[in-house]
Amino acid sequence: MAADEIVFWVFAPISIGSAIAMLLQRNAVHAALFLVVNFFTIAVFYLVLGASFLFAVQIIVYAGAIMVLFLFVIMLLGVDREETLVERLRGQRVLAVVLGAGIAIELVVAIRAGIGFATKAPANFDETVNQGGNAQALARVLFRQYFFPFEVTSVLLIVAAIAVVVFASRRRRAITRTEAVTAGHREAA
Amino acid sequence: MSTPIAYFVAVSAMLFAIGTVGVLIRKNALVIFMSVELQLNAVNLALVAFSRMHGNLNGQVVAFFSMVVAAAEVVVGLAIIVTVYRRRQSASVDDLTVLRG
Amino acid sequence: MLDLLWLIPLLPLAGAAVNLLLGRRLGKAAGWLATGLVGLGFGLAVAAFLDLLGLPADQRVHVANLFDWISVGTFSVDVALRVDPLSITMTLVVTGVGALIHLYAIGYMDHDPRFGVFFAYLNLFVFFMLMLVLADNYLLLYLGWEGVGLCSYLLIGFWFERPSASSAAKKAFVTTRIGDAAMLLGIVLIWLHVGSLDFGAVFGRGASELTEGTATAIALLLLAGAIGKSAQLPLHVWLPDAMEGPTPVSALIHAATMVTAGVYLVVRSHVLFELSGTALTVVLVVGLVSALYAALASIGQFDLKRALAYSTMSQIGFMFFAAGMRFYTGAMLLLVCHAFYKALLFLTAGNVLHGLHDETDMRRMGGLRADMPLSAAWFAVGALSLAGIPPLAGFFAKDQIVGFAATSGREVAWVLASLGAFLSALYIARPLFLTFFGRRRGREQAHEAPGPMQAPLAVLAFLTVVGGLFLGLTAEGGRLARFLEPVVGLVEHGEAALPDAALISISIVLALAAVAVAFWIWASGRVDWEAFPQRQPELAGWLANAFYVNTLYAWLVQHPGKAFGRVLTVVDDRVIDGAVNEVAEDVVDASGVAPRIQRGFVRSYALAFLLGAVALLLFLGLRA
Repeated sequence: MAADEIVFWVFAPISIGSAIAMLLQRNAVHAALFLVVNFFTIAVFYLVLGASFLFAVQIIVYAGAIMVLFLFVIMLLGVDREETLVERLRGQRVLAVVLGAGIAIELVVAIRAGIGFATKAPANFDETVNQGGNAQALARVLFRQYFFPFEVTSVLLIVAAIAVVVFASRRRRAITRTEAVTAGHREAA
Repeated sequence: MSTPIAYFVAVSAMLFAIGTVGVLIRKNALVIFMSVELQLNAVNLALVAFSRMHGNLNGQVVAFFSMVVAAAEVVVGLAIIVTVYRRRQSASVDDLTVLRG
Repeated sequence: MLDLLWLIPLLPLAGAAVNLLLGRRLGKAAGWLATGLVGLGFGLAVAAFLDLLGLPADQRVHVANLFDWISVGTFSVDVALRVDPLSITMTLVVTGVGALIHLYAIGYMDHDPRFGVFFAYLNLFVFFMLMLVLADNYLLLYLGWEGVGLCSYLLIGFWFERPSASSAAKKAFVTTRIGDAAMLLGIVLIWLHVGSLDFGAVFGRGASELTEGTATAIALLLLAGAIGKSAQLPLHVWLPDAMEGPTPVSALIHAATMVTAGVYLVVRSHVLFELSGTALTVVLVVGLVSALYAALASIGQFDLKRALAYSTMSQIGFMFFAAGMRFYTGAMLLLVCHAFYKALLFLTAGNVLHGLHDETDMRRMGGLRADMPLSAAWFAVGALSLAGIPPLAGFFAKDQIVGFAATSGREVAWVLASLGAFLSALYIARPLFLTFFGRRRGREQAHEAPGPMQAPLAVLAFLTVVGGLFLGLTAEGGRLARFLEPVVGLVEHGEAALPDAALISISIVLALAAVAVAFWIWASGRVDWEAFPQRQPELAGWLANAFYVNTLYAWLVQHPGKAFGRVLTVVDDRVIDGAVNEVAEDVVDASGVAPRIQRGFVRSYALAFLLGAVALLLFLGLRA
């Protein structure tokens, strides 16, 4: 067994297991933590697949920023209380699991039809593609071919930031009709 | 590398399915959001795996952009959830039934 | 004058319109207006008659084409009026007798709140009747035919607040409808086989082109219409009930004019009838059977007007009998004379009703000649004429027909016709004696009708006395026969087993004997006729109920009809309404189910997405 095989066969179960665990946790904080574990395993996969830059970004951005943000909000709102276990919608759980399994099976079948389970990656990925290291190679592609999308995404980030600032700094204003109605609904309910 | 690429993609598929089930099953808005993130990550994994298979970096670049957008989306989405929570004092999506027929 | 032919029907139509619109404001003048217009029509008809006489006998036909009426593809019919001896005779009768009856009605309907409407309807009737007799094609005739049926309905049911009156009106309309429908089929057949509905074309070209079978079919269908309108068996049931209408209506429509329209139709279409021996035989049989049936029924009636109604049916039966023997001039002579004396009888009956405040039951009359000597005289004249006592008009008309049966070799028919004549005398003398002679059974003192009402009666009585002499007395059958000959042809009189003198004597003896018998039974006081219904309840019942024909029809038609109506009501309520309501309920149910799709749960929506995605993937995967 080569090194990457061992890594794969160790981290794949952890990945899937943590994902399922996240699903089953009633406490939101626990769920978030399991997701962090999942992100780490994915980062390892990136590394094995020769995307070392992404490995780093995954950990810094996803596990480090996004999940922290999640935990902030969970704790801020205090929604880490236990979720009720009663499912109101009939058949929702059963159907969800069935359909989820269906999706998985369909995708696996498609994979098998598409690339087959035997295809291995080309061997000299590091020498040809990742010449000068993954970061430099990525930069070469990013700032030449994908320059325009790059700029657009930066605009996107700015817009998102502004949006959040607007959201957060909303001054008290008159209650809209919809809000009054929904408040009434909530009181009636 | 001696692991077949299909194995990575298979893992990605399973993670995606788990994420989907999570969206459907959980009632807490935040947990649902986390499941969506899981789905996004699964897709990123698939992208990188295929990038490795094809021998170019396009997949990685797209995965990179996907992460950027995911970050922006999380920011705005959480802001929305916070606002909704402020109005209704509940983070359960089952309480948001105003758009009923 | 013949150019102004169109005025004759138009005047009463105008009168009807004016009276309908302004009747209430005109008051009494409405009656005078209506009468005057019909009288004016009579005058114009006389002028047309004189013009016609001025022409040589074989050219006495004038057709005035007023305007194109219908023109659709190959089907074209004009409004065209035809004046020839036959139609002018009918026109003179309709306008002449009509005017007299209008005059009478002014007095009779004096206190009626809907005085103007009455005269409007009467005028409208005269208009339609004139269209009927003056029409030059079958469709226009049918227009008049239907129109008089409508007016008959309106006038029978004039006092519509009385349920019996409105039922009678409906009965008349529906019964004649049956005949009318058959007649329309006949007209359609004519058009299909001849290509035109004009009398000239039908009787000329059609006569040579129609096969016997087709002619039989057409003739029988037209006859069906005539049977309905003229109240012959089996469509006669409406006529006795039609007596619910005011007496002038009974006189005009149900004695003198409308019921004779059937006879006119047969005589006018005689060319078609002669193409088919079967049809003529049917006419003959229908007439004879109706005559005898109605005579017996009349004897059983205690209502004065109903007795007269059955009498009308019987007399018209004689007219059909004559027509069936191809003795059209005889039929027409009887038609004209019958118009005179039947109108006289009915209007006199109107006097009696007027005097007794609408009492019609003869069992409560009797001995009225002391109170109403004038009316008694009129009634006697009319009754004796109908009985066939010479030299009154009825004698000439009836005797010629009965005699013709003998001279044309129809011995059995002659015997039956003579029997019918005997019964006629019997049944008409009966009301004469029951009402005006004998013991006074009523409690009221009747008062005689006023002068204005008596004047028309005087005229009619005069016509009854001299009419027969004037019209019917010569060797060839009389002036009327000669006048009508170009249209209907003259029939040869054959030889009978007995000489003519003997035949005439027999018929006079029968008539006198019948009157004497009637006097003995009903006026002399020696026969207890009042006890007859108790002693012979079955026979009395058969006579009084006219052989239970109405009951038969009720059982045959009304009960199934009503049952069918009930079934249809159920179908309408449960099936049709049920289906509609069912659909509505289904929609409501469906709309109850539909909202369940959108209950507001995002997770359900998400599940729907996923379901679609999985299905799509499956579809794509299976395709590839």
